[in-house]
Amino acid sequence: MNATFRAIKDNLVLYFFLFPMFLLVLVFGIIPIAGSILMSLTKSSTSLSNSPIFVGLANFKTIFADSYFIDSFRITLEFTAISVPLNLLVALLLALLLGSKLIGRGGVVFKLCIFLPVVVPIMATAVVWKWMYNTNYGAVNAILKLVHLPAFGGLSSTKTVMPALVLVELWKHVGLYTIIFLTNLQLIDKEMYEAAYIDGAGWMARTLRITLPELAPAFSLNAMYALIQFLKTFAVALVTTQGGPNFASNFVSYYAYSKFKLGDYGEAAAMGTVLFVAVIILTLLTRRISRSDDLERGMA
Amino acid sequence: MKKNRIASIAVYLGAAAISLVMVFPLLWMISSSLKPTRDIFAETLRLIPRRVTFGAYESLRSLAGLPFMTYMWNSLFIVGLSVAVSVAVTSLGAYAMNRKPRLPGFHLLENMFILSMMYPYILLMTPVYVVIYKLGLLGTRTGIILFLALGPIQYYLFREFFSKVPRAIIESAEIDGARELQIFSSIVAPMAKSVFMTAILLTFILNWDNWFPVLIISTSMKTYTLPVALFNLDSQLEVNFPEIMALSTVVSLPIMLIFILTQKKVIAGFAAGGVKG
Repeated sequence: MNATFRAIKDNLVLYFFLFPMFLLVLVFGIIPIAGSILMSLTKSSTSLSNSPIFVGLANFKTIFADSYFIDSFRITLEFTAISVPLNLLVALLLALLLGSKLIGRGGVVFKLCIFLPVVVPIMATAVVWKWMYNTNYGAVNAILKLVHLPAFGGLSSTKTVMPALVLVELWKHVGLYTIIFLTNLQLIDKEMYEAAYIDGAGWMARTLRITLPELAPAFSLNAMYALIQFLKTFAVALVTTQGGPNFASNFVSYYAYSKFKLGDYGEAAAMGTVLFVAVIILTLLTRRISRSDDLERGMA
Repeated sequence: MKKNRIASIAVYLGAAAISLVMVFPLLWMISSSLKPTRDIFAETLRLIPRRVTFGAYESLRSLAGLPFMTYMWNSLFIVGLSVAVSVAVTSLGAYAMNRKPRLPGFHLLENMFILSMMYPYILLMTPVYVVIYKLGLLGTRTGIILFLALGPIQYYLFREFFSKVPRAIIESAEIDGARELQIFSSIVAPMAKSVFMTAILLTFILNWDNWFPVLIISTSMKTYTLPVALFNLDSQLEVNFPEIMALSTVVSLPIMLIFILTQKKVIAGFAAGGVKG
């Protein structure tokens, strides 16, 4: 105890440095998270009052009995299960393309174009894509018509809304994963390639035996970022579909938000807690898998 | 040699096609904002308008009963101040954390920080709303600015950079009797000029975009930023397509320009910080 006190006293300045950050994390991070979890245990009509009534796990029982919530959970998981591998695969191919010796100086412009959607405000990109898919004004169907392909239902049909959103989110986020792959690609020791080249290994063999194994850490990093990103999908649903048509894009985040809007605070918070737990479990799982991967490599 | 040349051309064409797909929606947005209404249906795909009109931009002068400049000023004021607060808070925090990570409570704070970043922040907004309300900051720019000040990417950028500053430099300054604040302000901070620049750019880009907290913390349109004004315009029943495209362009253009001018720094920053929004 004395040693602790002394350590704090001797380093008071550093504690002052850290204090503003601590305050922000506490006020806008920890307290709201604790508040959210507590709120999930309260009766909605009393959640925001000074003396909320605690109802135990009743809100969790309600949401797990709500078929719309089960569907929304399934939709979110399916969307994530498709988007994560798709984004990683496309990003990997783009990174290989951008990292190719054949592309030379033009690569700067291509990199800029691929990364641009990442920085353009999501509100603008979501609004623009909503109109891109519009059957009257939109460019998507105009292009399909031009090349004599059947019209695409886009956001207005329950069958096509998910593929349509997967594409929007791919377009929006793939640039980030590409850049992380590309950065790691450029760190690979060139001599490994030269040695393999002398041994007569072709492009395919070099990619499979050198590039992909060397990119393993980038894979797990990207997988983790993508997982968190797509499990939390919200803005695009709010702007383009409002969970529709017929609840086909009713992501957990969006459903919780709409419950919040209706004043069902307890249920909204319960949904948030469930999603939070899902994010933590899946993230830890990804880390565990990638770590054992690295371990194997280290032992080999 | 010839084979290489053909491969090179193929790679170039592929990359150019992909780039076109990536920028097409943005070019289409700009082009649609400049077309007269009658051309929008007839020439949906024409990227360079046959006739150019700025009518849609003129009608942006007043949005939902407030002058355009209100939203513009809110964006600049809120984003500008949140960048300043954020960079100051995270750089000091990262410095202290890096200087003596084993001090009591430091590790706990870092874990608390990581945990807050993993929570789906959309869902954090209800309790944040309550906290802001209890602090008496509901509907104020101060509330929005403080909430926007906490970002993982800035913190990790600083943390990464400070971890590479040789300990010997700091320790020798310490032996010379320099105080911690002096070490930070006259030795470490000047070395970190480039990281500060990157952090400022990234925070600006991310906070310009960060519309949801603004929507939740605001109690009237008087504190709306440009992206929230766009959300508002787009959710109205009466649709004015060119006007929506014009406002989307206004929201995006500053960021696109900043990005094109500083792309190397911004891309490297995103790659290093990794975490996004």
